[in-house]
Amino acid sequence: MKKIVSVCLVLCLFAVLFAGCNSGEGNKAGGTLNLYTWAEMFDPDVLAAFEKETGITVNYTNFDYDETMLARLEAAEGGDYDLIIADDYIIETVIAEGLARKLDKSKIPNFGNINPIYQGQFYDPTDEYTVPYGAGVQTIVYNPAKISVDVKGYSDLWNEAFKDDLAIIANYRVIVGMAEKVLGYSYNTNDLSQIEAAGEKLYELAPNIRLIKDDNVQDDLVSGEVDAAVMYTSQVTMAKLANPDLKIVYPEEGIGFGIMGMFVPSKAPNADAAYAFIEYILRPEVSKACFEYLGYYCTNKAADDLISEEFKEFLVLPTSFKAEDMEMIGNISPEAAEKQDAIWTKFKDLCE
Amino acid sequence: MKNKMNRLKRREHGANAVLLSPMYLFTIVFLIGPFVYMIVLSFLTRAETWGVVNEFTFRNYLKILEPTYLNTFWESIKLALLVTALVILIGYPFGYYMAKLSPKNRGVMLMLVTIPFWTSSLMRLYGWIIIFRANGLLDKLLMGIKLTGEPLKLLYTYPAVVVGMVYGLLPFMILSVYSSVEKMDWTLVEAARDLGAGPVKAFFTVTLKCTMPGLMTGVILTFVPSMALFFIADILGGNKIPLIGNVIQDQLMKVHDWPFAAALSVILMLMTTLMIFLYRKVTGSSDTEGII
Repeated sequence: MKKIVSVCLVLCLFAVLFAGCNSGEGNKAGGTLNLYTWAEMFDPDVLAAFEKETGITVNYTNFDYDETMLARLEAAEGGDYDLIIADDYIIETVIAEGLARKLDKSKIPNFGNINPIYQGQFYDPTDEYTVPYGAGVQTIVYNPAKISVDVKGYSDLWNEAFKDDLAIIANYRVIVGMAEKVLGYSYNTNDLSQIEAAGEKLYELAPNIRLIKDDNVQDDLVSGEVDAAVMYTSQVTMAKLANPDLKIVYPEEGIGFGIMGMFVPSKAPNADAAYAFIEYILRPEVSKACFEYLGYYCTNKAADDLISEEFKEFLVLPTSFKAEDMEMIGNISPEAAEKQDAIWTKFKDLCE
Repeated sequence: MKNKMNRLKRREHGANAVLLSPMYLFTIVFLIGPFVYMIVLSFLTRAETWGVVNEFTFRNYLKILEPTYLNTFWESIKLALLVTALVILIGYPFGYYMAKLSPKNRGVMLMLVTIPFWTSSLMRLYGWIIIFRANGLLDKLLMGIKLTGEPLKLLYTYPAVVVGMVYGLLPFMILSVYSSVEKMDWTLVEAARDLGAGPVKAFFTVTLKCTMPGLMTGVILTFVPSMALFFIADILGGNKIPLIGNVIQDQLMKVHDWPFAAALSVILMLMTTLMIFLYRKVTGSSDTEGII
């Protein structure tokens, strides 16, 4: 008898253990916006103001990597979430898999506020699915007190003045791309011989590399661990706020933006709430608050003039900037990606 | 009578199977399942941008033979060997003398060795950053006693990674050596000494042999994790040493080549299994009790 009871207990315990797996998700109440993006993408005050104005509750959930988001969205077959913000390259896959819906622009009158430089890009060439929300660019930042070279572009990083003194981001496409740009190639070339040549060029940079890191590179620059770095826009913002003497260089070889985009999943339970939110975010004064909080390039042209002076240098593009100067990093063929990765692995070893 | 006994035994057996079923289920779902999935995955072909295609290939394993990727295995083994050697050099005498302390002091030492485990290992690594970084504690100390004139750039170097790994894995060696020295029958050493062996000879012929299981357990617990502790190389080494762990992570998160990542993991796992096999050979024990 005792045994039977304990068997039952064990089985019950097990059932309870697994019951937890399926619930939790999916709050489909009428007035809820299920927003899915990275943590800290929005100033809580902005979200609170939106909730107060519209009566829509924001249910903000996070992912850490774009890939996690895609896996979840695939599992939900395009449902569960009303609005997702993710990186350009993954949105291309999302659209290709039919997991995003075409935007009903009649519900987004502020759509015209978007800075056209950030539109018509590879992941959504006709702007049917996405609204950009912030853009980042790999910029060179250095301490002019320590580095006497006048840096104009990526090619200057090969200079001996940077010996064991340079930090770079840990993204193989960006770094191999740097060498491609110096040689005058495209970021997205599938020509293996060009990639090979870029690799040879990149290996020569190894003695200058002190640090390869994605998170908080600005700390190493501000603390003097390194005197120059190639980093993302949000990090540039933080570095400049901590040390205004740092110099920012837009590489003359042309810069490659990363754009974060908002899209509405194909089976969003409450798409209207998503439209209301996009419309709200595209208001110039709301965008100003958002981008000053976020620290990425302002993608709302109507908000450019509102950005405060202290942020302007790194949130608004220089007036001399032309759309032809930029090339985005898009998806490349598997063979090209593998070649680049092999170069990247060997390059890291040479840096040691 | 005999018949009844057998019946009883059988019944007990049946009840045991039911009671143990959650454990079997757990093992199948969380251990064997993922493992089989990984092996299957390692023979598939990657898709154009995302995911995999069901096409059988040996390509992923052949790719490991490329010098660039073979080198990452070599780098990992080299680092693991260096770390293990240092851990033995420091950990063995430490554990040995700890076991010979008075019971009261032993308790205190045991406490001191385990206390760092109460904090997250990441936190402890950041502690090393504070020590190593430019104008950090160590720099200030060395400049204070006028040994060096300027910051040494200690962080993001190979030695920094080695220090971090030795620090992180040392307690495993200390504790395993300690437990086997403590269990040792000292009369054997006395007998050796009585028969004319000097202290050094007695140590190598008796003590070392008796504590071999503990030492080998420590070696396994140090060597195997140090093949995979890529985050230490990331944080203290500035991501410049391409260990297998880093390559696997890159393949999954950045290159999206899951089959290749799976193939690398399978090889890594085979190497680990080989280590445990060697452990059994060396210690002559048929179980892995020492490890657990």
